[in-house]
Amino acid sequence: MPWGRYLRVLAVLAVLGIAVFPLYWMFVTSLTTDRELFTSSPRLFPDFSLTGTYSEALTGPVPRWLLNSFLIAAGTCLVTLALAIPFAYGLSRFRFRGKVALVIGLFVTQMLPESLLVVPLFAIFRTFGLLDSLHGLVLVDTAFVLPIVVFVLKGAIDGIPREIEEAARVDGCRPLGILTRINVPLIAPSLAATAVIAFFSAWNEYVFALTFIFDRGLQPASVGLASFIGELSTPTQTVMAVAVMYTLPAVAFYLIAQRYIVTGMTAGSVKG
Amino acid sequence: MTAIARSKRGQPHPAARGATGRRRSSPTGSSWTPWAFLAPGVLYLLIFQGYPLVEELLLSFSSTSLLNPHDREWVGLDNYRDIFASPDFRQTLSVTLVYTVTCVVGAVGSGLGVALLLNAKFRGRGIARALVAIPWAAPTVAVAVIATWMMNAQYGIVNRALEAVGLGVPSGNILDSADYALPAILATTIWQLFPFCSIVLLAALQAVPKEVKEAASMDGAGHLWTFRVATWPVIKPTVGLLTLLMTIWSIRRFELIWIMTKGGPLGSTETLVIDLYSSAFEHNDLGRAAAIGMVGVCISLAVVLIGQSMALRAEKKGGH
Repeated sequence: MPWGRYLRVLAVLAVLGIAVFPLYWMFVTSLTTDRELFTSSPRLFPDFSLTGTYSEALTGPVPRWLLNSFLIAAGTCLVTLALAIPFAYGLSRFRFRGKVALVIGLFVTQMLPESLLVVPLFAIFRTFGLLDSLHGLVLVDTAFVLPIVVFVLKGAIDGIPREIEEAARVDGCRPLGILTRINVPLIAPSLAATAVIAFFSAWNEYVFALTFIFDRGLQPASVGLASFIGELSTPTQTVMAVAVMYTLPAVAFYLIAQRYIVTGMTAGSVKG
Repeated sequence: MTAIARSKRGQPHPAARGATGRRRSSPTGSSWTPWAFLAPGVLYLLIFQGYPLVEELLLSFSSTSLLNPHDREWVGLDNYRDIFASPDFRQTLSVTLVYTVTCVVGAVGSGLGVALLLNAKFRGRGIARALVAIPWAAPTVAVAVIATWMMNAQYGIVNRALEAVGLGVPSGNILDSADYALPAILATTIWQLFPFCSIVLLAALQAVPKEVKEAASMDGAGHLWTFRVATWPVIKPTVGLLTLLMTIWSIRRFELIWIMTKGGPLGSTETLVIDLYSSAFEHNDLGRAAAIGMVGVCISLAVVLIGQSMALRAEKKGGH
């Protein structure tokens, strides 16, 4: 039935077009001249001779914003994994009182919007002098990504046969050693996936950075990029170039780690 | 959801029982060994999620401003009475409802369609699956910035495209129009959410047994019938879970709307979280903000409880 096949090819292409077009358009716009930007028939392909937009975008505060985003994201990734690995192990391997309550509590955190907790956290941060600091953002960003990372890692540890641990125990391995030497290497793919999730959840974070950072030099790229909207002085091409530089790492890493992320999330928290 | 049900599985291995035959609570060590692993994370979440939540609850019963949050006046249920008496808040609730329902139906529905489309065997399927994930991977702020640019009245590609097909949008920016802003934001949100749904559903579709599908098609069953008999029963729990997740995510969703419209024009895109944030940080009314937030959390909780009990009932029904 060739007609059915053509129809399906068309449908797939349409879906891919819808999925990819806005980001493609962002890239094209970043490489367009002013005149073409404002004509009635816009250019549909990028003009690669205009890469000057990018060097222009990289003057001023943009490199600093990207660096801030990177520092916040890397910090969040490290703190999250340091807390989540033992947490997930404890949940997966032990029976204890209050376990069901703890799991429900973890799930409830998924329902709390950032904007709800931003007010009390603002007060706490002011008391402890954490406003206007990158490590302050690491602390809150960790709190919001930790539960999902714990669920994913717990799913991964659930899948490791206990016999392996038993053997290590017989050989005299202590609980912490069992975790670091036996479990951690075995869940490496899930660790990589959760590291990507934690890194980019902080890379993308906006609400806390918007509210807790006043110093423009300490803003991450999310806040910096959003501040361009409504600001008439910045050329559209520059805004789009910054958007491309901010988006590209996230998309690239998600595409590379996609397989592990999907497996991890479906095994860990979504399916069951 | 199922994560909650799964936690019952943590029974100790028989070998973990003590030499006396006494059942121990953990593979090794005493009953507080698990807490040595759990304590750092639990304490962390208590500080950064638990305590602020309690604070927010207390705030919702008091009157205070951001400038001196310790100077609090207890007002009981006044904040709640005020918000429920205001027509603005009723509009906020209805916008939230429309936004959430449309997002969930749109994202899960189109996600399912795309998953079925990409589940068939064809050349380049792997690439297609990767490309479809792109909107999910893109940072929301970048998405908001691109969408705003694409919907610009004079230069935006959306207006030009609509004009080209003869569907001219009335003059002005789409996002400045009380009629078009919400549909525009909905389209952007669904664009961003459907890939997650289709990726998760694609994973669920792997579990549909081939034999059942083949048997159904050998019986001369049409696509729809095969779907109902072979596919739907397998993916139903996943669809339910996605519906729940998308509901919670839509109620929480802030930055896309904040960046694109800040809740305007005329409150036409003002959801609970937008109202909450602007009450706190633009109108400096922390009590009102907290009360709005608590209403939002209660709605989310109610949705989860209803979803959970529906899932349980379905499980029981399937059990015998």
